[in-house]
Amino acid sequence: MELDTTSPLLNFAEDKLQIFALSFMAVVYILKIRWILKFPAGKDRQAPGGSPGTNARKGAIHSLFNIALPWEMASTRQHPFFYAQFVIFHIGVAASILMSLLIPYVPEWIAGRTAVVALQTIFAAAFLVGAVRMARRLTDPYIRGISTPDDYFSLALLVVWLAFSFLAAPNDRQAGEWPLLAYFFLTAFFLVYVPFSKISHYLFYPFARWYLGRTLGHRGVYPVKSGARA
Amino acid sequence: MSGTRSYKAQKLVERLQVKVNRQIMLSLEACVHCGLCTDQCHYVLSNPGDVTYAPAYKADRIRKLFKAHFDWTGKTLPWWVGAKSVYTDEELEDLKDTVFGKCTNCRRCSLNCPMGVDMAAFNRMARGLLVHVGVMPEGVAVVAKDQWEIGNQMGVLKEDYLETLAWMEEELQSEYKDPSIRIPIDKTDADVVYSINPREAKYDPRTIAEAAAIFHFAGENWTMPSDGWDMTNFGLFNGDDELGGAVGGRVYDAVERLRGKKLVISECGHGFRSTRCEAPNWGKRDVPFPMESSVLTMLGYIKQGRIKVDRSRNSEPVTYHDSCNIARSCGMTEEPRELLNLVCSDFREMHPNRAANFCCTGGGGAMSMTEYTPRRLKSAQVKAGQLTATGAKIVVTSCHNCVDGLFDLIKHYKLDMQVKLLVNLVAGALVVPERPARRMRPLEGYKILVIDDEPDIRVYLGKIFKDQGCLVTEAPDANQGMRAIKADRPDLVTLDLILPYMTGEKLYWELRKDERTADLPVVIVSGYAAVDSPRIDFFGFLAEKSLPQPNGFLEKPVDPEKLIETVRAVLLEKAKA
Repeated sequence: MELDTTSPLLNFAEDKLQIFALSFMAVVYILKIRWILKFPAGKDRQAPGGSPGTNARKGAIHSLFNIALPWEMASTRQHPFFYAQFVIFHIGVAASILMSLLIPYVPEWIAGRTAVVALQTIFAAAFLVGAVRMARRLTDPYIRGISTPDDYFSLALLVVWLAFSFLAAPNDRQAGEWPLLAYFFLTAFFLVYVPFSKISHYLFYPFARWYLGRTLGHRGVYPVKSGARA
Repeated sequence: MSGTRSYKAQKLVERLQVKVNRQIMLSLEACVHCGLCTDQCHYVLSNPGDVTYAPAYKADRIRKLFKAHFDWTGKTLPWWVGAKSVYTDEELEDLKDTVFGKCTNCRRCSLNCPMGVDMAAFNRMARGLLVHVGVMPEGVAVVAKDQWEIGNQMGVLKEDYLETLAWMEEELQSEYKDPSIRIPIDKTDADVVYSINPREAKYDPRTIAEAAAIFHFAGENWTMPSDGWDMTNFGLFNGDDELGGAVGGRVYDAVERLRGKKLVISECGHGFRSTRCEAPNWGKRDVPFPMESSVLTMLGYIKQGRIKVDRSRNSEPVTYHDSCNIARSCGMTEEPRELLNLVCSDFREMHPNRAANFCCTGGGGAMSMTEYTPRRLKSAQVKAGQLTATGAKIVVTSCHNCVDGLFDLIKHYKLDMQVKLLVNLVAGALVVPERPARRMRPLEGYKILVIDDEPDIRVYLGKIFKDQGCLVTEAPDANQGMRAIKADRPDLVTLDLILPYMTGEKLYWELRKDERTADLPVVIVSGYAAVDSPRIDFFGFLAEKSLPQPNGFLEKPVDPEKLIETVRAVLLEKAKA
């Protein structure tokens, strides 16, 4: 049996700190959802219209999964490389969040070399995408024109976090704790900061897409006719 | 700048608090500034390098305001998330320039946003906020005022509208050599109540005549209202829900007043969207009757065999421009194409099309904002390119705004093209039957009230009129007759003079005294003869009371042909008047 040499600081960072950060984020998210629901929802009183093959519910469901259908919108269809970046980046973020739960509680799940290499590949790819996105944000006049300090900071935070996710993935405490410490402190900061930043877009996503899809489904616009993709 | 606000800025901020609903709030919060919407906007594509046209940039002019007043981070650390309120009238003018002058609310960016941000929805809201404090392009103010005060957005007076309809009716009767073709006004219980764009009455009345011919040859029981006939709605463009609800309500009131079974909306993108899809929500009103675009109505007539068309009559190459309001906001994309393929022989698709089509650049009220015309025409480069690529000689659309927008850009970019509406092509392809299957009878659809105390006479006259397609009501005495006139508003009354309780001449006097019935056509049908009924001297009575002569006078027994001829002449005379 190996002796657990983990320092109290890392123990705290990977356990209690994460629980606190997650709890804080959950509370803020509950308050945010409450805030969203305080706004009155517009209604569609008119009779359904447009294509008879759809309705509000179908439209809403289609809208929710629209992001997984890159051929649906000209914006994603015309920019496949950008769409691929989006997929890689979000997989990287999701994997990193998952890793922050696996390392402290079921480290054996990602202890094998294959798992570590897989995770590091994802983090490296996502990191590269993040770096490309940052370069784009700094150089493309259109994107620079709409960027706020929060946009830059959120992206930079994620890029740095992904870099530390890469370093933390082997979970090799014998080689030094600093990558794990940095990773867990960054994760905690990330979780606390997210609800106040644009990173919380995923909280709004289902609501925004649901309502847009409901309206457009009721009017027979969604799902978009295949001809429109011509 | 912070602290003091101008009066208008303060009022705008107060208005913002009540206008943000859940959908708009979500659209304002959800943007991640990914920029994917940028090259989906015709303004951006025509003005490369100008960041201020980018949809997300334009949206941020409004988002800043929202964040400053609603968003937690925006209220605490405004500079961090780009939150900023408005303080001066100059800032309001800048906002006006963006929301009115750099966006046609075409919704193309909304449908291309991965997050589901409906930029067109909150751009319209921002327009409404500015209109609330009187900041808007002059043209928008003028048109909205006309729609509030006169009842239609082009300030067409009722008498001019009715005169135009009468003129078109005469033209049709002359063109088809068929006096039975009518444009019925305020006919009750019609199957179709037809509403139009005032542009048709003012600049393009042929579209009314063409629609009337189609209704006629389809044997439709239709009418046009004398009030509440304008289905366009500037509330959609200026963001004023109150105006939008009131204007839509006028149309709905007209249909309910006439007890119409269905509202058919002529070809107009924003009018169709407003009346069919938006005004029930703006006015918080449930509309009990169905509403459809005239495109569907015409398509239905062809598919049901009610009218015949010959597509070879429209042989020039044709392409179709999807109106943003119809395709992206109402989902009507296939029916116009189906109809086009039935009425023209060389239809060529434009790319992209349907919900992905580019705006004609005349939408969102842009045609009324002349100060932005150079921008509009520059941004039309994209549409000009689309049109040219089709090789078509005619671009068909289903929207009067698009007609104007396309006409302007075709002229500006010197394209060899004409712009037409679908109704133009359907009317052009119409095969007029030598003997229509269900030819309109001369008195078809007119409402006649027969007032006579003798049941046999009522049945006899009623049958003659019903055989001519009239809607007949009866009354056995003058009192019931008066009640029927008030309740049913007939087109003509046949009146017996000898009636119980109150004589026919007294009733005639009452009718002529009341300004609401003073012009109601009355044909006296009586067994009156001075020798037989010395009590009655009708003409002496008219002279004594200075009353006008009745519109017709027939003695019993009545010859059916003479009755029909007289009644028809009276009704034609009234229509001309």
